[in-house]
Amino acid sequence: MARCMQYLNQHPETGLNPFPRLAAIAAGAQYACQQRGERVTEIWTGGGYGMARKTESITVSSTAQLWESSTRRDFMRLMGIGGAVVLLPSILTNCDSSSSTGTGTSGAGTGATVTIDFSKGDTAVLQFAYALEQLEADFYTRVAANFGSSGLSAAEQTIFADIKNHEVIHRDALKTILGTTNGFTLTPVYAGVNFSSRDSILATAKAFEDLGVSAYNGAAQYLTNVNNLLVAGKIVSVEARHATAIADLIAPKTTLFSLTPFDDAFSPGKVATAAQAYITEKLAFANAPATFVQGPNNNG
Amino acid sequence: MEQTPIMQSLDPEMMEPILSRREAISKGATASSKVMAALALGSIPIALGALAKDVYGQTPADVLDVLQFALTLEYLEADFYTRGVAASGLIPASDVAIFTNIRNHENTHVTALQGLISGKGATPGAKPVFDFTAKGAVAGFNFGSTQYATFQVLAQAFEDTGVRAYKGQAGRLINDKAVLTAALTIHSVEARHASEVRRLRGKKGWITGNSRDDLPAFTQPIYDGEDNSTQAGLDITALGTGNGGIGGVTEAFDEPLTKAQVLTIVTPFLA
Repeated sequence: MARCMQYLNQHPETGLNPFPRLAAIAAGAQYACQQRGERVTEIWTGGGYGMARKTESITVSSTAQLWESSTRRDFMRLMGIGGAVVLLPSILTNCDSSSSTGTGTSGAGTGATVTIDFSKGDTAVLQFAYALEQLEADFYTRVAANFGSSGLSAAEQTIFADIKNHEVIHRDALKTILGTTNGFTLTPVYAGVNFSSRDSILATAKAFEDLGVSAYNGAAQYLTNVNNLLVAGKIVSVEARHATAIADLIAPKTTLFSLTPFDDAFSPGKVATAAQAYITEKLAFANAPATFVQGPNNNG
Repeated sequence: MEQTPIMQSLDPEMMEPILSRREAISKGATASSKVMAALALGSIPIALGALAKDVYGQTPADVLDVLQFALTLEYLEADFYTRGVAASGLIPASDVAIFTNIRNHENTHVTALQGLISGKGATPGAKPVFDFTAKGAVAGFNFGSTQYATFQVLAQAFEDTGVRAYKGQAGRLINDKAVLTAALTIHSVEARHASEVRRLRGKKGWITGNSRDDLPAFTQPIYDGEDNSTQAGLDITALGTGNGGIGGVTEAFDEPLTKAQVLTIVTPFLA
């Protein structure tokens, strides 16, 4: 297991990590399973993460395959068309994803449909941000409510308490800005997250913060009002500060705090697919933008 | 060890989706010879710049001004960390990985901004000569082996400034989506750097109120205005209590600086 983790996070020869997001998500699932001593038979990540719908997938059965250029190409291509990557048990250790713990154990995407209509312009982008902030605020609120058995040290709890405050403020600010007409309430689910495991909490927090950074960076291009762009900018850098603080707890004094010279910029569709795994309601887009201008990492 | 920019290590085959992307971009752009040449060289920063020019068919003075301004800040940071990492006995072995990583990122940012500027048909500004004593405000600082604490202070000052500087320029890029997105992906990396350096110094990764904490008084302009509690016309303190009070309210949002404010902060470091 330790060996697998190492490979997922860093190439043994180049030291680079071609799939930081993949590694983060896989690590989160792995940590959770490890804590529970359960078995995972299949982990979906990337474009098809958490989705019942299957369009196209590639199968990765050994760590070595992750470094083969053909696999990497397929991965990039699939991410572009909403495909999926399947990590077989041999790579992710043995764990059963169907037996999850915590509140809201299953049913991601099975609830009422929440539609974000991009014909609303900036409002839709703020709604999208609101969805993510609801998820983050709820997650950290649950972590804080369970500090006693979280395995987090007192110093770590102080950091998480701060982050919880920030995310609740982000959520409530967006809620007020959007008002009742454009607001909606999501019901998060946490399949695979163990709130009594420090490792699971840290891995999930890191994944959420990185996803948030990628989401704001990618969605900013759809904002037309400079004031809204500024608010998004004020939030995204705080999310990045969070991501680093958490990375610093996972692997202090390594490069995990900032793996690449440019952060990712993800399209709303890619972000929604990843976030859907944690949301009971079915996230849907109407009039979604036809184009997405990639960031320097070209992986959105 | 010089880190290869991640974009330059992509498979040649992955250029295909990049090329096909131009078809998806609105406004009917066609790839110019500059885009093709840049992609052939495997240089995404240059390609990005050239593509941006293709799409918008113009090089607004504002965008170029932002890019040149950002380049100056990145030159400052890149030079600072390059000298710091190279200085014998300055950075303890335990922290070398952190500052080497940051140095590599800043160098890549310099290259990327130069590429974006060149891609718009302009000439990137030359690298200035820097004075890291800030005209004597940081008296005697010369990357000496006993000056690690001062090095960290300056690193925090530069990173927190960088975050605010990019944020303040985002609005000027709103019509150039490629440059905006590139700038934002640098902006959040600067925030990661800032958080890391702050934590290395035993501080919170985020800024509370307008506190410069234990930094010297000359750095106060870097933190002025961070105590703002009104966002989008909304009094955030009125949303409710129990979320960290005014401290939490100010930590939850990073604030921008204007170009003039940043230049006031940075000018003492220009020799």
